[in-house]
Amino acid sequence: MKTIASNLRIFWQGTLLSYIALFGWLRPVTYLATKIIGPLMQMLFFTFLGTFATGSENAQFYVIGNAVQIAALSGIYGVTMSVGGERWAGTLVYLFGTPANRMMMFFGRAFMHIIDGALGVVIAFAWGLLLLGLDLSRTNLPALGLTIIVTTISTCGLGLLMGCLSLVTANVGFVNNTVYFLLLIFSGANVKLSILPAWMQATSSVLPLTRGIASARALIAGAGIQEILPLLAQELGIGLVYGLLGYFLFKWVEVSAKQRGTLETI
Amino acid sequence: MSFKNIFKYWRTVMIVAEMTLRHLINDSFVIFGILVQPVIIATLALFMLKDSAQNAAMFVVVGSGLSGLWTGLVFVSGNSITAERWQGTLETLVGVPMPFEVIVFGKNLANVLLSLIAMIGAYLLAALLFGYTLSTDQPLLFFISLLLSVFGFISFGLTISPLFVMYRSVQQWQNTMEYPVFILAGFLFPVLLLPNWTIPLSYILPPYWAARALHGTSTGNAPIETTLFAWGMMLLFSIIDLIIASRLFKVMIYKARVEATLDVQ
Repeated sequence: MKTIASNLRIFWQGTLLSYIALFGWLRPVTYLATKIIGPLMQMLFFTFLGTFATGSENAQFYVIGNAVQIAALSGIYGVTMSVGGERWAGTLVYLFGTPANRMMMFFGRAFMHIIDGALGVVIAFAWGLLLLGLDLSRTNLPALGLTIIVTTISTCGLGLLMGCLSLVTANVGFVNNTVYFLLLIFSGANVKLSILPAWMQATSSVLPLTRGIASARALIAGAGIQEILPLLAQELGIGLVYGLLGYFLFKWVEVSAKQRGTLETI
Repeated sequence: MSFKNIFKYWRTVMIVAEMTLRHLINDSFVIFGILVQPVIIATLALFMLKDSAQNAAMFVVVGSGLSGLWTGLVFVSGNSITAERWQGTLETLVGVPMPFEVIVFGKNLANVLLSLIAMIGAYLLAALLFGYTLSTDQPLLFFISLLLSVFGFISFGLTISPLFVMYRSVQQWQNTMEYPVFILAGFLFPVLLLPNWTIPLSYILPPYWAARALHGTSTGNAPIETTLFAWGMMLLFSIIDLIIASRLFKVMIYKARVEATLDVQ
């Protein structure tokens, strides 16, 4: 019982402090620019581009796709900074020196970003409703809420893996940016997956977001929760696989860095 | 200004540009912004416009290339002075017997020229992977448009770099400056799709005139008068930008020498 309480404390403290630490540089204005205005601009650009290419009747396709894809802002950039930031802040040595449960410590880094990321998607949907004619009249809103949370969790799973990469490479910014932009294609946010070549469709099927975006589109078109539950289960499963891969990489980095004395080598 | 000075400035611009180029090609952030991101945007746009007319591919190549130019301008040219502050070389540069704007001009020249790689990347993507046959209908006019665009982007970069270093609150919006210009300048879709009230905003953006000239001459759709007008507007904005930049650099140097706050983060 005492171990469980201790692990929960580590989880919560890691969660809260790593998130607060981000605001060491992330000022409120930067947050407003990055998380509220930035997503609107992304949605406007791809919606206009999409409607130019395929007609204004398809605007909703792009609004929904990009609104859900905003989960990757917190999922990839936020989580990566929370995990990788330990190295840049010089705190990785102390972190690996503690006897704390590594799983709690590791997954705790993503928790606040799930909440923040889900909030970001809700804000993006609000932009869609206010400015881009998004119609939610036939939507099962609780099911859409569940979709947003599951998709954010799965994207944070990928973020945990990317965060661990930032412990072994100095080029994580390049990798993060590339993954974020590739998701704009591979997740189906802006292109119907059916028109992509087979290898791209196969890649899409093992990425987070793909099924989350498909679920959101189905729900907004009037589907019931029963129809999208299998998609959500797969989405969650994919996120957990990425998260676990990240966790094993995290463990490997710890062991390897301790053996070779390269914990803070950049 | 004597010929001797012009030669001295030109030599400085060339040396700074060469050093900056060597530095930039080793920076993965820069490579992402000016090559990877535009190529991904081009891929997306080519998939979206798959069933459109043949010249849509050329429109995408030019548009995504312009997006790379703008990204390079915001993140590299915009930071061309700030980066010196980060590296601790700003005071030295301000102190050398060479106008500081000449040095920044050289840095911006290198960045804008390197950013043209975005257009080459998008061209290769459309030609090799998507199988489009691409050619410009008015190659000479396209080349002149490209030269004027490069000059226009450098001039615009000279106005934003001192702004970023002096007013850090402006720089906090740097990450959100990409898409609004992609939209308002009509890089990948016509601005006619936008609400009417945004049109004047497009007109005051030099990248809008660059996009008009480059799209018009690459697809051959624009009459010569339209291209000439876009060139005129690019030149006009370049001159205005250079005048504003000259003023901003004076204010910045004053701050550096009198208030000594240039290196304060």
